[in-house]
Amino acid sequence: MNSLLEVFQRPDFLSQLVVHVELSVVALLIGVAIALPAAIAVSRSPLASTIVINIANTGRAVPSLAILALVFPLLGFGFAPSLVALVLLAIPPILINASTGLMQVSPQVIDAARGMGLSDGQILGRIKLPIAAPVIFAGIRTSAVQVVASATLATFIGGGGLGELIVLGFQRNDLAIQIGGSLTVAMLAIITEVSFGALERTFTPKGLRIARKHRGK
Amino acid sequence: MFDWGWVSNNITDEILPALIGHIYLSFVSVAIALLISLPIGILVSRYRKVYPPVTFITGLLFSIPSLALFALLVSVPGLGLGSTTVIIALVSYSLLVLIRNVVAGIDSVPEETRDAARGMGLTNRQILFRVELPLALPVIVAGIRIATVTIIGIATIGAYISGGGLGELIFTGISRNFPTRVIVGAVLATLLAVLADLTLLAVERYLRPWARTRRA
Amino acid sequence: MIEFRGVSKTYPGSSRPVVNDLSFEVFDGEICVLVGPSGCGKTTSMRMVNRLIEPSAGEILIDGEPNTAMSGTKLRRHIGYAIQQIGLFPHRTIADNIATVPQLLEWDKGRISARVEELLNLVGLDPDQYRDRYPAELSGGQQQRVGVARALAADPPVMLMDEPFGAVDPINRHRLQDEFLRIQGEIKKTIIFVTHDIDEAIKMGDRIAILQEGGILAQYDTPENILASPNSEFVSSFVGADRVLKRLSLLRVSDVELGPPNGDGLPRLSERMNLKDALSELIGAGVERGSVVSDKDAVRGTLSIETIQRLSHGAEQARGE
Repeated sequence: MNSLLEVFQRPDFLSQLVVHVELSVVALLIGVAIALPAAIAVSRSPLASTIVINIANTGRAVPSLAILALVFPLLGFGFAPSLVALVLLAIPPILINASTGLMQVSPQVIDAARGMGLSDGQILGRIKLPIAAPVIFAGIRTSAVQVVASATLATFIGGGGLGELIVLGFQRNDLAIQIGGSLTVAMLAIITEVSFGALERTFTPKGLRIARKHRGK
Repeated sequence: MFDWGWVSNNITDEILPALIGHIYLSFVSVAIALLISLPIGILVSRYRKVYPPVTFITGLLFSIPSLALFALLVSVPGLGLGSTTVIIALVSYSLLVLIRNVVAGIDSVPEETRDAARGMGLTNRQILFRVELPLALPVIVAGIRIATVTIIGIATIGAYISGGGLGELIFTGISRNFPTRVIVGAVLATLLAVLADLTLLAVERYLRPWARTRRA
Repeated sequence: MIEFRGVSKTYPGSSRPVVNDLSFEVFDGEICVLVGPSGCGKTTSMRMVNRLIEPSAGEILIDGEPNTAMSGTKLRRHIGYAIQQIGLFPHRTIADNIATVPQLLEWDKGRISARVEELLNLVGLDPDQYRDRYPAELSGGQQQRVGVARALAADPPVMLMDEPFGAVDPINRHRLQDEFLRIQGEIKKTIIFVTHDIDEAIKMGDRIAILQEGGILAQYDTPENILASPNSEFVSSFVGADRVLKRLSLLRVSDVELGPPNGDGLPRLSERMNLKDALSELIGAGVERGSVVSDKDAVRGTLSIETIQRLSHGAEQARGE
């Protein structure tokens, strides 16, 4: 137990935790910045949306280690190549959910909005995005959890992060470092899962929550 | 950058065994996970109260990053490095998806159907095996698909704790700075995952008669 | 007034028009019902008025101005729009749904909330109870009412309604129709109303445009005239073999010249009854005549089956000339 506490006081513990969070946050932000506009861009064509969803679905099947590993021969070791790999991992879940969410907005609702004189921009901003928000946020949550988990693997291509500690534990056969690093990563993933879940609930408009409850009956 | 010569020289010694080892790891893990999830899922569909704790625990397991779970399991006395530890981790990752889909599949059976079966004199056991499970099969297969793809991906990381498989090529490639190994391992793992995804998707569609009639 | 001038619509890649050279006028303060079988282009015709669909040929004038004089979005903010599936915004409260167009027109807050309250009262929903609810909390009939209120929000002179009562059960539909006719009595909008149901058309329409497949206008007239003298085989089969009875349902007992009050023991008929119901009542009672009474039970006179018969026959002959 004592040795575990020592792990948390190591100078590299804090610095790797920071790198881990940095990698995850930046990758997620870039992922959102790419996937969300892309989903919006294709959302007016059901065919394009379906194609994008299918491609992204196949993209999700690609193992995260494979993506990191394939980035290494192309871009080499380090933080930036790791970031690129994590962005690639972050995109598919957001793309899938945003496209699906925007496609699921009832055509009658959109017709009514258009018929009342909302412009295309207003229909997107005031109708489609708020109604699709819960599904979009669910995608961001999946993506966030996956990025936090995969950031652990960044250590293999020199990206740093808490994976560094786990690997160090293995190399030195130091159980405390190994367990300390693992528990921290696990906590980080669970915190991400829980806090994004809360965010998802916050961004679900009240009317939709009520509608879901009524459908459930 | 890519050394074709290495590939042809090592295809039987290294590449094929890694591929077969990977398939073996994944297949065994999914099979064990299914053996555990089916009875739990059936139980949960009968006793609803246990559903929240079951999803909570399996959800917790699911969200632990794989390298961390491997490291934690290795430190458990009696486990250590090797494929057994990897299989335990892979099984624990599949539970959430599989149990959820077994329950959802059984839930998807209309109450009238169950009622009709009871009305024709089927016992509870007969209803389960002749009505509920066959009708739940497409949804269960959908769960198997997601679990399989997830497992094939995570199994690559298992090589780090000596589980074998395609991850072996990736890790040794990185440590020896030999890109060909890395690319072969990563590409094969990707192809395997995508292939498993598409195959099981086809099975899933085949099991849904309504999808078939729509295509006709 | 809305004027269709030689309006046609052919979709790209199709050789057959869905709306074919449509010309007619919808008069101020009237409900014009577009009715016909599916594929007759009635919804397409309506959607060209607010330019959700652009015609391939011809033009539509609103109060003498072509509807292309302003942008589509601006035009639509001045035309009420209510559709069958209602299309209420699930993430917005009832008040916010109704306030959609006033908000787009940037009314001030006080004016908007006063208008919402007024409209909820108009459609028979208690504002205090429903203002802050969400669509999912309302029944189908209540949602339809909100849909109508939302279409009326900015007090548009013109309204387009596409089967606005289509998604509710028959009993509720009749109630909503009656309520809407009462509301229209107060607000006197110029309305284009689309339905596939000839009974609804007869009940709601000041004038009916019957369209047939290929978007051709088969007949455009008042319900009375169409029922009395359908101008083609298509129209007469579309209005149905019972058109004489349908016509009787348009007339009230009080519209008829009654015989002198006579005798006792006759079944009582309210003067507010329509003639079809009165006839059914008399046949059902197995008598030739009934005693017509007012709401306050004052005897107005007698009505005989013979009178009803003469009335419908006479109209047929007059029309047949």
